[in-house]
Amino acid sequence: MRDEMILHGISEVARAHLGWEGADLSPEMRLIEDLRLDSVRLLTLAAEVENRFRIFLDEADELAIETVADLVAIVRRKLGR
Amino acid sequence: MGAETLLDYMEEIGRRPEGADGGLRFVDRAERATWYPWTEVRERALAVCGGLRALGIERGDRIPLIYPTGIEFFEAFFGVLLAGAVPVPLYPPVRLGRLGQYLRGTARMIGRTRARLVLADPRVKRILGEAVAMARPPLGCRTLGELPREKGEAVRIGPEDLALVQFSSGTTVDPKPVALSHRGIVGQVEALNSFWRDTPELRHSCVSWLPLYHDMGLIGCVFPALTREAQLTLIGPELFVARPALWLRTLSRYRGTVSPAPNFAYSLCLHRISDAEMEGADLSQWRTALNGAEAVAPPVARAFIERFARWGFRPEAMTPVYGLSEAALAVTFSGLGRPFRSRRFDREDLSREGVAREAPEGREIVSVGRPVPGFRLRILDENGDDLPDGRIGRVWIQGPSLMEGYLDDPEATARALQDGWLDTGDLGFLNAGELYLTGRAKDVVILRGRNYAPEEIERSVEGIPGVRTGCVVAASWLPEDAEGERLALFVEAARSAGAEELAELPEACRAAVLGATGLAVDAVEVLPPGTLPRTSSGKLRRGEALRLWLAGELTPPEPVTAFRMAKAVARSGLAYARLRWGGEEG
Repeated sequence: MRDEMILHGISEVARAHLGWEGADLSPEMRLIEDLRLDSVRLLTLAAEVENRFRIFLDEADELAIETVADLVAIVRRKLGR
Repeated sequence: MGAETLLDYMEEIGRRPEGADGGLRFVDRAERATWYPWTEVRERALAVCGGLRALGIERGDRIPLIYPTGIEFFEAFFGVLLAGAVPVPLYPPVRLGRLGQYLRGTARMIGRTRARLVLADPRVKRILGEAVAMARPPLGCRTLGELPREKGEAVRIGPEDLALVQFSSGTTVDPKPVALSHRGIVGQVEALNSFWRDTPELRHSCVSWLPLYHDMGLIGCVFPALTREAQLTLIGPELFVARPALWLRTLSRYRGTVSPAPNFAYSLCLHRISDAEMEGADLSQWRTALNGAEAVAPPVARAFIERFARWGFRPEAMTPVYGLSEAALAVTFSGLGRPFRSRRFDREDLSREGVAREAPEGREIVSVGRPVPGFRLRILDENGDDLPDGRIGRVWIQGPSLMEGYLDDPEATARALQDGWLDTGDLGFLNAGELYLTGRAKDVVILRGRNYAPEEIERSVEGIPGVRTGCVVAASWLPEDAEGERLALFVEAARSAGAEELAELPEACRAAVLGATGLAVDAVEVLPPGTLPRTSSGKLRRGEALRLWLAGELTPPEPVTAFRMAKAVARSGLAYARLRWGGEEG
């Protein structure tokens, strides 16, 4: 899957489960500082991204995630396996 | 003779013939269940006990446990207990969350308990290195797989031995480890069990998604199930938050009769469960939906009853309760089997005079009921004198499960426990024998059922340009008709702050708090220097600051252009955030 499609999928998750109303997220957005996700929303994002792409993130992956681009990269890697 | 310690209950399980039907069921995200009978839980725990003893763990050693919800938590928890040591359940890292903050907090809690050893899930251990290095427990951090393999035997302990240390609030700042004895926990569990007598027609079973490091999850759900040898069905808290429907579907599938949750969980169900997800669900077995650990918002309780009646939810199941970790858990329960009760009281009288007079158009407050068996309540004024019904004062309690004290902190203990009575720090009044809570005299922020030390939130904005050092107050309160408590931050600006700095302050503060604590601030008020109320010794009076702010009296009379501007920006910032996120409740 190409990065744009993954990004689009993550944006749809944000719209469906986080109440995001804007256009697609952009890769450089930081989850906490820019998207203003509190801990409940972070959790929701992680779980719903897993559901959507049928992958499992583990703690080690998640620690490296700061921006939307990081999340896209991890999803791509997981899908590639 | 009845059981005096949790180990007595474990021993009884060991004497059961094969085929006892109680045990633990874990439901995963695909809604698959794994089942462990209590007899197996005990055997696994005995193996851990053997490993711990071979390692040199002794009676009374404190051992923090860091596990997600799963069988390993129970092996570790009961293994530590069987070895005569004291388990200290700590929370595992939050998903996608601020690791630095988490590690510092965890290190602080490990250090605060003077732990000899930390037991952790293998995945958690991998990222825990820094915290363990900071706290340096003598025997390090191990997974269960890294314990020596030795056959275990339970250590003899007595009812006065500590059974559990739970943190009531605070991680990096002012952590408060509550030490509970076996006697206390058994007292609490017996009080809880008295509410759910099994009959030939109905065997109670509990379903819980609550974290196991939280009193309502561990003491409220696990111990009653253990002592009754009943079934307990568990869901990870992160699964519930991501998919609230999983909780209700699990209750339906396993015919759960009891399930507790804080107010925010009922609110989350209203907003994040679709009708489609509830298809085929039947909640009619659910006798008691305990609602505690934070303020109960009447509109949420009502809306939940109304919405889920379609799937058989019984209106009388909604049961507001009150408790705190210093009392092990429950202090009052509203009557089971009757709809929850609320009354309206005159706003002016409540806030100005501390008097609760019923008024048809007044503020609605939910009754949290009467003391659970063995507990007594007093409402005291500032001089320690008893107040009559309808007068607001501090709630003091006495009962069989009060903490032994804050661990290794005799001063804090002496402040909280006096002559066998515990100062809850909560404010409330009695009406017709039932307790109504109106606020808090203690400095605690309670959001989503979790307690936070306000200092932790305040500290995250120190150092932002324009913030006056040491002059920040964080406080939470339940506004009328709101779905849950709101978090406000009162920030005094530094004298040197320029107009631009002031304009950026609210946004900078929100971002800092979110980054450090994962909490979204609902309101930021920037104040001129010297506005926040203080005690004669110069300590911030948080409760008073909140009261003044709510009454519209915190802002100084003299208009200051720069501050007005900052406030305008704060408001527009809030509106902007709501717009972007569609005003949805988190």
